Amino acid sequence: MKKFRLYYDKDIEQDWLQKMSSEGWALKNFFLGVYTFVPCEPGEYIYQIDLLDSWNGAKEDFAAFMEDSGVEVVSQWYRWVYLRRKAEDGPFEMYTDIDSKINQYTRIKDFFLGATIFEAICLLVEIIAAVQTKSFVFGFFSILIGIIVLALLRIVWRCQWKIEQLQREK
Amino acid sequence: MDSNSPLTESIFYILLAVRKPNHGYGIIQEVGEITGGRVILGPGTLYGAINLLLDKKWIALYSEDKTSRKKKEYLITEQGKEAFFKEVKRLKELIQDAKLMEGLA
Repeated sequence: MKKFRLYYDKDIEQDWLQKMSSEGWALKNFFLGVYTFVPCEPGEYIYQIDLLDSWNGAKEDFAAFMEDSGVEVVSQWYRWVYLRRKAEDGPFEMYTDIDSKINQYTRIKDFFLGATIFEAICLLVEIIAAVQTKSFVFGFFSILIGIIVLALLRIVWRCQWKIEQLQREK
Repeated sequence: MDSNSPLTESIFYILLAVRKPNHGYGIIQEVGEITGGRVILGPGTLYGAINLLLDKKWIALYSEDKTSRKKKEYLITEQGKEAFFKEVKRLKELIQDAKLMEGLA
């Protein structure tokens, strides 16, 4: 079964994968918003999503370490990884102390901050093009990219909020 | 984490678990056993901590079986032991100072 979804918040995405697993659908692959599921025992797996530090070198090292720890790397896309473990092996949470949770949200925040800056530059170029050519197409794309920039900013803000919540718990 | 700040609980127990050569999953299991299930290390937390400790040279790679792509084992270094005992000294001082409160218990 394939499903198309766009998630900005990995916690909500994770909850959805968990719900799918409890209904007997295990994630097998992710690519550009397309999630491929295969049947499983209801509740067979616990899923976690993580963002790697860098996307070269660390990948194999990370994957080997996770497999040694009894965790299966289900799918990788760019720096994002989808991990799972059998529910019968007990609770599964990638990050169990506040410091490493803060580190994870900081990585995610920086990732989306980079994307926001990139899109903001694109937006500027589109606006300049729209003003100079007075073309409807550039105007349309300016609005589209503007919406993307706002969505990205919202994720950055959400990550920042989560980091501050965690810091208060320390 | 600079060298003067207290160790986090995760770091403390990871150092304890690599007093003898130990691999990732072994560390998670041993820390769980020592603490009676109170401290369960998530694999992501452990991965980050191991890389941090390798950078600080508090632990070192002990063995890596390249032929079977088997588990990497880690072992505490002299620097790591020094940091660990410094923390133990600090904790002992805390326990000593806590005695002031004894009459109130």
